[in-house]
Amino acid sequence: MNRQIRAAGVGIIVLFVLLFLQLNYVQVVRASGLDHNHLNTRLALAKFTTKRGDIVSADAVVLAHSQPSSDSLKYQRVYPTNDLFGQITGYFSYTYGLEGAERSFDADLTGADAPFQLPKSLKDLTVKQDRSQTVTLTLSDKLQQLAKDQLGSRKGAVVALNPTTGAILAMWSNPSFDPNPLAGHDQSQVRSYWQAENANADQPLLAASFRQRFFPGSTFKVITSSAVLDKQPDLATKSYPQLSALPLPNAGGQVLRNFGGEVCGGALPDLFTVSCNSGFAAIGLDLGAQALADEATSFGFNQTPPLDLPEAAQSHFPAASTFAHDLPGLAKSAIGQQNVQAVPLNMALVAGAIANGGVIMTPHILAQVSNSQGQVVRTYQPSPWLTATSAQTATQMTQLMLSVVQSGTGTAAQIPGVEVAGKTGTAQTGNNTIHAWFVAFAPATAPKVAVAVLVESQPEGGEATGGVIAAPIAKTMLQAALQGP
Amino acid sequence: MAVRVDSTYRIPARRRTELGLIVLAVMLTGGLYVLASLGKAGSLPANIGPFLGIICGLLLLAHLGMRKLAPYADPILLPTAALLNGVGYVFIARLNSHLAGLQALWTAIGIAAFLATLAVVRRARDLERYRYIFALVGIGLLLMPLVPVIGQNINGARLWIRVGGVTFQPGEMAKIFLAIFFASYMVERMELLRQGTLRIGRFQVIDPKYIAPVLVAWALSLMIFLFENDLGSSFLFFALFIGMLWISTGRNGYLGLGAVLFSAGAAFALKVIGHAKSRLATWRNPWPKYNTTGYQIIQGWFAMAAGGVFGDGPGLGSPQRIPEVATDFVFAAIAEELGLLGATAVLAAYILMVGAGLRIAVRCERPFEKLLATGLALIIGVQSFVIIGGVTRLIPLTGITLPFVSYGGSSLIANYILLALLLRISNDSSTPEVAPVASDLTVAS
Repeated sequence: MNRQIRAAGVGIIVLFVLLFLQLNYVQVVRASGLDHNHLNTRLALAKFTTKRGDIVSADAVVLAHSQPSSDSLKYQRVYPTNDLFGQITGYFSYTYGLEGAERSFDADLTGADAPFQLPKSLKDLTVKQDRSQTVTLTLSDKLQQLAKDQLGSRKGAVVALNPTTGAILAMWSNPSFDPNPLAGHDQSQVRSYWQAENANADQPLLAASFRQRFFPGSTFKVITSSAVLDKQPDLATKSYPQLSALPLPNAGGQVLRNFGGEVCGGALPDLFTVSCNSGFAAIGLDLGAQALADEATSFGFNQTPPLDLPEAAQSHFPAASTFAHDLPGLAKSAIGQQNVQAVPLNMALVAGAIANGGVIMTPHILAQVSNSQGQVVRTYQPSPWLTATSAQTATQMTQLMLSVVQSGTGTAAQIPGVEVAGKTGTAQTGNNTIHAWFVAFAPATAPKVAVAVLVESQPEGGEATGGVIAAPIAKTMLQAALQGP
Repeated sequence: MAVRVDSTYRIPARRRTELGLIVLAVMLTGGLYVLASLGKAGSLPANIGPFLGIICGLLLLAHLGMRKLAPYADPILLPTAALLNGVGYVFIARLNSHLAGLQALWTAIGIAAFLATLAVVRRARDLERYRYIFALVGIGLLLMPLVPVIGQNINGARLWIRVGGVTFQPGEMAKIFLAIFFASYMVERMELLRQGTLRIGRFQVIDPKYIAPVLVAWALSLMIFLFENDLGSSFLFFALFIGMLWISTGRNGYLGLGAVLFSAGAAFALKVIGHAKSRLATWRNPWPKYNTTGYQIIQGWFAMAAGGVFGDGPGLGSPQRIPEVATDFVFAAIAEELGLLGATAVLAAYILMVGAGLRIAVRCERPFEKLLATGLALIIGVQSFVIIGGVTRLIPLTGITLPFVSYGGSSLIANYILLALLLRISNDSSTPEVAPVASDLTVAS
């Protein structure tokens, strides 16, 4: 019997070795795959039961906060400013995942990236440490609120940034959304809110300020003018005929009208100050598609801005080849119509390029990350994104944009004692409405703020222009931003 | 021949070893309990004092019983069982405080049953006399859940009876009674079983008269399977029988026969019993059935994977997401929170236990004790393999308990009785022969 007993012992050992191997298979070999299996909600749950840091504005207003909650999800994410910063903070939703700053700075907020801290006591070893970190944004609550008040019930967007660093000071679009319902713990309520927001034709979940595109209209003339100065400087002094409308080539008599049928012409500065369509259309035809397309690309069109928020949209200027047999289209594109589409953030960066000697700085919302003890862990370092144009062109463009505000279409943006440089835009949408634009920066000599204001779909009419509707908003924003925190 | 020695002799070193190991087990359990509370609630457990007090009290009682009643027995079995019991308790407490209170009660009763068994069964060989009583009671207990009024169908298996407000599993005790019966029967029939052959023409065939008990056992286990819907117990029962038969006779033919019968039974069951088919399908590929039958095993895998090598830490994982985690799937919880390392330590504890049991068996001189010890050790080994294998998806899942660790009064108490029997056998064969002292002498017959 002993022989069999020993054999049985070996048999049992073999069986347990198989168990050990199986454990290795599950806990080591397939562990990572199992953790990320789409059916496995453990990681998501771990995410939702871990303390998450605050998102805070530059002027110390709490934009997102994790309150302890008595249910199984342990923390409730709340957004005290409701829809004011909804599109910036994004949401932290069990069903719909992460969006906005919650997504971009997820690792910082949860402390996943936090540098390893030596455990200071036995408690640190056994109890889950609080590794959450606070993310401070460059946006200011004061300016954001001002943008919201100024835009009021009108659809549109306001973007204000610091052209020398790329730091965004305010970025508001109407409609916006309140992320609080999406962060709720009752998932059926979350789903209803989501469906309602998505059913809204104006798409509040898609921020107009950096995720939607619009006809830029005459604000595009900044780029057209820069193209002249960069690529064909003699055109700057060429005198264009005084016209109320430009006949378009190969268009069977079609003409491109000036706003209100006004007559304008002359050299570049004259054309720019009054925003002369006929003049700029002719310039576009003289420049050619390639020059215009290249210049647009230098100014950030057809690329995704390296913004630290997810899914920023690209502004669009068609490829030069599409104009090979479409000269009328080229003419219209030169004044920011036809198929030219601009994102408000991008237009603010265009103004910023001119303000910053031709260099577009990387747009960002992150200022710094600090840990639960208040120590700063990480500070954003500004860096250049594109060289849009030369410093010399930028200086010349500054002069042109100053004249718009001093005596041209943008006089509503004047601020006593401050030199404001800007450009108006009144884009035709084709539905008997216009988009009212104004891009500007101030002070012209040592710019600190650049803004882009868009008021969407205003009824067409004599007073419906960028200069009347959008410029006053830009003025208020610039004034407030220059005042300081 | 064992001799009782006078009381002035020194306690054998084994008991000191045992005491030391018990202290170690208590410390490990206490430490784990504190860590689990820190992990889960962030604070020290409020009842750590009474908790340690009760464990120490119970184990000390058991140890003192050992000193008095079985001083020469193996020193490893009791501390290992205590450690497994402690680890199991910590996890049950961490998962469900209501069940923890009950498990503490069952542990106390288990230790009491342990001491009672040691006290009542003075010599293992005495059990041989009652073999048919054990057989009848064992079979009766196995079949009791089929009785209409008191039998309960829980989670698809009919293994339980409810008397008063208490449910228990008679199958757990039945295993032990049947092991005693098998050991006794096989020892008695050993020669016949070993050589019972008929000559048919030129071939030596095993005499059907002696296959009969194998077939009866097989039929019985199939019945348990069919009517009680329990694969685990029926497999364990059958494996125990075949294993003991093979060990007692040394004829590999029985192993082969057992394998054939098992396969036949399994094939039949898979064709006929939907439950068995479903279990096999879930084992093969649980993923499409995530929302239904596959949910538990997949959650178990997710839990174990989340633990990784080092585990999430006691109290820091989320094993409560696994259904039935305090009973069937407690091993998955251990693997999640203590990691591969902790789970392997539990495997090692079981191997230690089985190894100690088999060592006891090898050292026995008398065949009955030898066989019985082997049977009891095999119960622990096979049962823990089957449930851990099912939980890790090495083999299809069955609903049996993890000895000493899972929540369950019947299981815990039966396993402590099993332990007491093993230690009694161990003591019997280890008591040294000493020259009788004139003044105080009792010769054992």
